[in-house]
Amino acid sequence: MPGKPRIATDWLAGCAGCHMSLLDMDERLLDIAQAVELTSSPITDLKHPPEEGVDVGILEGCINNSATEQVARTMRARCRILVALGDCAVFGGVPTMRNSATCAQALRRAYVESESTVDGRVPDDPELARMQNARAVGQVVDVDINIPGCPPPPEAILYVLSELAAGRKPRLSGKLLDWH
Amino acid sequence: MSSAGLVNITINGRQVQARPGQTVLQAAAEAGITIPALCNHPHLRPEGSCRVCVVEIEKQRSLQPACTFPVFEGMVVHTESEKAVESRRMALQMIFSERSHYCMFCPMSGSPQTTDCELQKLAYQYELDSWAYTPDYMKSWPVDASRKYFVMDHGRCILCRRCVRACAQIAANHTLGVYHRGARSMVCADDNVPFGESSCVSCGTCLQVCPTGALFDRRSVYMGHDAQTTRTPAVCAGCAVGCGIEAVIRDNHLLRIEGDWNAANCGLLCVTGRFETTEPRHDRILRPMVRRDGRFVETSWDEALNTVAARLRQYGLVAGLISPRMTSEALATFNIFCQEVLNTNEVALLYGDVPPSDLGARATLQDVAAADCIIVMGGDPLEEQKVVGYLVKRARDAEARVIVVNDRPTKLDRYAHVHLDLQDISHADQSPFERLRTTYHLRIEGVVKLKSAVEAARRPVVLYSAGLSTTVYAALRAMPDKVRFMPLIHGTNSAGAARLGLTARPVRGEALYLMAGDDMPPPDGSSPTAGRREIALPESRFTVVHAAWRSRWTEQADVVLPALTWTEKSGHFINMEGRTLEIKPLVSPPRSVQSDRETLLQLAVRMGCALSYQEITEIAGAVS
Repeated sequence: MPGKPRIATDWLAGCAGCHMSLLDMDERLLDIAQAVELTSSPITDLKHPPEEGVDVGILEGCINNSATEQVARTMRARCRILVALGDCAVFGGVPTMRNSATCAQALRRAYVESESTVDGRVPDDPELARMQNARAVGQVVDVDINIPGCPPPPEAILYVLSELAAGRKPRLSGKLLDWH
Repeated sequence: MSSAGLVNITINGRQVQARPGQTVLQAAAEAGITIPALCNHPHLRPEGSCRVCVVEIEKQRSLQPACTFPVFEGMVVHTESEKAVESRRMALQMIFSERSHYCMFCPMSGSPQTTDCELQKLAYQYELDSWAYTPDYMKSWPVDASRKYFVMDHGRCILCRRCVRACAQIAANHTLGVYHRGARSMVCADDNVPFGESSCVSCGTCLQVCPTGALFDRRSVYMGHDAQTTRTPAVCAGCAVGCGIEAVIRDNHLLRIEGDWNAANCGLLCVTGRFETTEPRHDRILRPMVRRDGRFVETSWDEALNTVAARLRQYGLVAGLISPRMTSEALATFNIFCQEVLNTNEVALLYGDVPPSDLGARATLQDVAAADCIIVMGGDPLEEQKVVGYLVKRARDAEARVIVVNDRPTKLDRYAHVHLDLQDISHADQSPFERLRTTYHLRIEGVVKLKSAVEAARRPVVLYSAGLSTTVYAALRAMPDKVRFMPLIHGTNSAGAARLGLTARPVRGEALYLMAGDDMPPPDGSSPTAGRREIALPESRFTVVHAAWRSRWTEQADVVLPALTWTEKSGHFINMEGRTLEIKPLVSPPRSVQSDRETLLQLAVRMGCALSYQEITEIAGAVS
């Protein structure tokens, strides 16, 4: 590919821990910054992937409402290679725990029935995102590369980015594959 | 076939010799080649249901499961060929597509180095980084927590049926089964009742063989990964069977007990050995206590021992009672202490009847499991020496004839082919010894049945209890030489005590020294079982109780001395097979608790009759 590969990241229903793990590369971030161009991410000034598209899109978190679904679809449309980063993106993660209840039950429990709530009501502003069952990113859009882990080790992220920058398809194994 | 009767095969290009009848998996394992498997377990009969162990065998039309496929001469096997690996990955993906294998929600989950889940380990090994077939996000699976000690989460079950096979083949209990077919299959107990209401005996063998987190131990599940623990082979002190156990220990805490596959009990344990002995307790006696004005006051060892020495000297006759849970060394020391220091012959076991041991060749646990005819004469092994009871059931599954002779109902009755009333032979005819042979051979219908069963058998075993009449023992002695005998002994080391001449008999004395160790009195109000005919504590004016736990014994005491528990002691037990078993400390005792022998020696010094270490060591040497 001509020039440095362009990378955009975004997060869905996650805890930002996978982005923390990305930053945990420490001084190796300098090498990565040499090898790739980060166009946008939740932890930079530019938040949204550019309309002209990027080579690699990275998504953290699972899809759990209409807003996160839209973010995932936008990223998929604007990147060539989509990477699911972390257990939530790959498997659904912790948010899937609420799938054992219906969305209506979960909202009622959180906004009305919780012990600390008095006269609660479920928010119904039409501008709010509509709640959905929690799903892995791959359940909604096609994912090319999975980096499982909670969070994935920085070495795994470094490895995947380095391999992609070198034009190879990464394959996680050994210590880099750790999704407990 | 080669001259040595071995089969020559090639695995991954390596020449390997295997025994005829071995499976590919067994042959490979013996040659040090690991073939991954999930449903297979080395101590269960292979079933070939998970398809993870598939290998490529040249000239076979399709991939074959290594765990069920027998070796043949000239066989060429590839365990990690591209085709085999692809199929194995597919099998793993299919397993992950069922149920809810969200590893992050499971306590077994860990890194490739720490995971306790065999499924996750294989997923790492075969580089699964995502689900090929996403499981149903909305489906929830039942969790059965109706048993006291362990829980089944069906969401983590992979239907390998190891638990079902362990229940049938090892515990011979046949509680577990599978209902429905195909993807709807579910492990169930009996006619699909909650486990806690089923015929389950909580032996926990299923828990020990479960490859995932589907079955988990309530107490230890969150206490750390196996990688953080050490496993020490040890001996269960629960009863006189003396089962081999593996103590799972972390930071001086006994987390869990598992059955030792290499011991005579081959992995099998009972609910007492596996669970009850590790139940957390909060009534440990940590410091000596002396009763003042009706209340216990914690004191120093010095003060407590001085009090005991002074008070014991005041009384002419002191009685000594000791629990059969003590090691042979402790029993010997106590015996000497009573005779030499307390100058009394009123020394006895708290309970623990030992039947005569001279009936014939002694049976081992393996003999029981492999017997083709088992006569249970008195006793109730399924209740009182449970693992022996399970082995009887296992032998029965293998077509052994089971004859129960007793004058009361026992738990083994429903498994007996013949049930005889003990009256038939215990009071048969006259008692003079000379006539017994005639009686045994001819007179009573039951005796005839026994005789023919023994004669027809090749490996007959007799389990017999204490308390039978001399007539019965004489009849047993007259049995043919092929019969092997196992006494059903109550009390962990009653056999060791018997060798020292210590038996359970009433004692009397103005003062009482009760060496309870970590033993406990049976719960108040429970009817005394035949297994625990405890002798009553004598009415004494001064009572010392040497015990690890608070109980109604210590409530009666004037002085309480802390004792070690079985996990902290060293010494020897003698089990029902007549074997001497070595006990090693698994954890170190609380700092304020000293060894029971040390306490007795210090007390002897204070009473002006020092026992030398050398003396004690000699006794201990003679015992073991």
